[in-house]
Amino acid sequence: MIELVRDTYANRELIWALALKELKIRYKRSVLGFLWALLNPLLLMLVLTVVFSTIMRFSIPHYAIFLLSVLIPWTFFSQSLSYAAESIVSNADLIRKVRVAKLVFPVAAVVSNMINFLLSVIPFALIVLITRHPFYWTWLYLPIPLVTLTIFTLGATFFFAAANVYYRDVAHILQILLQLLFYMTPIIFALDVFPQKHRWVFELNPLLYLLEGFRLSVYYGRVPPMHSIVVSIVAAFAALAAGFSIFRKYQNKFVLYI
Amino acid sequence: MDRVVITVENVTQRFRVLQERPDTVRELFARFLRHEVKVRKFQALTDVSFTVRQGEMVGLMGRNGAGKSTMLKLIVGVYSVTEGRITVNGSMSPLIELGAGFHPELTGRENILIGGLLMGYSKKEMLRRQDSIIEFAGLGHFIDAPVKQYSSGMYMRLAFSVATEVNPDILILDEVLAVGDIAFQAKCLERLQRFREAGKTILFVTHSPELITDYCDRAILLHKGQVAFDGDPVKAVDLYRASAVPQPPSVFRREPVRIP
Repeated sequence: MIELVRDTYANRELIWALALKELKIRYKRSVLGFLWALLNPLLLMLVLTVVFSTIMRFSIPHYAIFLLSVLIPWTFFSQSLSYAAESIVSNADLIRKVRVAKLVFPVAAVVSNMINFLLSVIPFALIVLITRHPFYWTWLYLPIPLVTLTIFTLGATFFFAAANVYYRDVAHILQILLQLLFYMTPIIFALDVFPQKHRWVFELNPLLYLLEGFRLSVYYGRVPPMHSIVVSIVAAFAALAAGFSIFRKYQNKFVLYI
Repeated sequence: MDRVVITVENVTQRFRVLQERPDTVRELFARFLRHEVKVRKFQALTDVSFTVRQGEMVGLMGRNGAGKSTMLKLIVGVYSVTEGRITVNGSMSPLIELGAGFHPELTGRENILIGGLLMGYSKKEMLRRQDSIIEFAGLGHFIDAPVKQYSSGMYMRLAFSVATEVNPDILILDEVLAVGDIAFQAKCLERLQRFREAGKTILFVTHSPELITDYCDRAILLHKGQVAFDGDPVKAVDLYRASAVPQPPSVFRREPVRIP
């Protein structure tokens, strides 16, 4: 763990440069460029509002906000994982020729998605304003779910980045896993649509606790209960410790398999 | 000037040949069912020892597959050593191939920064050196164009100036001077010369006999993963040319490994 903090700090400029490089490349040659990071959630909201308020007819007021408050952090999580899983393999040329701390690649993938995430808060706030949904004081609580989700994401990221070096199947399996997880987490629905006796299935999922802080504070104007906060923090650090120790164990051999 | 800066002691390096390894789960299962995996081991280096003293310019020669690049990768730390020990005293550019970190979509200027950061220099330092790097590479307004539009000569020029401008104590280079026109080659050699005068150490791989005889203090000739000769450059070149190198026993071997 100390190694993780030390190496991340020592390579902070490199990580930042790599993260910016990834964003630059992602938006390169598109006319709107960085604007896409802002436009994406706006357009997504448009689609979702049409689908869910006219076709599916969910009886949730301000459904767009209900949904986006969790969907945006979820997107950060799933995109980070998808990018990071490939991060070691796609930087193979570099790793074969330069001695560099391997952790910079998955960390940079998370950082670049974090920038995207933070940018999408701007259009989201705009939507909240337009729909006249109240801005609760609990927005101030947001840094806590943000930090715990990031730590959890980093942990998962280290594991998948390392695993994908050895078996390229991992990147494919990950996509399916993310799909499954998407429906196993209360994102498009609220947990209370299910009868009490079935909820335990969802309550086993750490992402429930990691994500519910976002919805509670933005949509309901509440802070999550203590046990939920504790579970999310424990899950985050457990994931990071496990993910990084696996990554660390195998990192010196990556070069032989890429 | 007699300080030893690079010590390579009895280094043996083995690799598993990648194609022999299951790359997918399906293959893994197939092999598991057959109860056998054939792992082919390749010994890239066998008991290699040599030292490089401060201020020396040493050329590493050998035919393709002799283990030259493996040796450099071990010294800079891209690979970890299977057997033996390598010690390095002093700062060293951690890349063996120029322009390794360059991304084709980024501009020359952006690549200078990333290249420098990859080598462990700070952003501040790279911004300070940026102008002289650009000037040495002589790219003019191309510096703000994506690197993918560069000719290979321009690419190498930029890479060479990034690698040498940052001023490490030990410069490790893998087949550098192959690209670039005569004028730029002369510029590079002049720069290497200045490196030497500053008491810095240069270890590089080359196939050019002239470079070895005209510039190196010493040459090391690798043959099939072993040191075949270490010493006078002219002699090394003669040996290399004549290929009058004693043939060591085959370093390939095949050994079936059982998976329980």
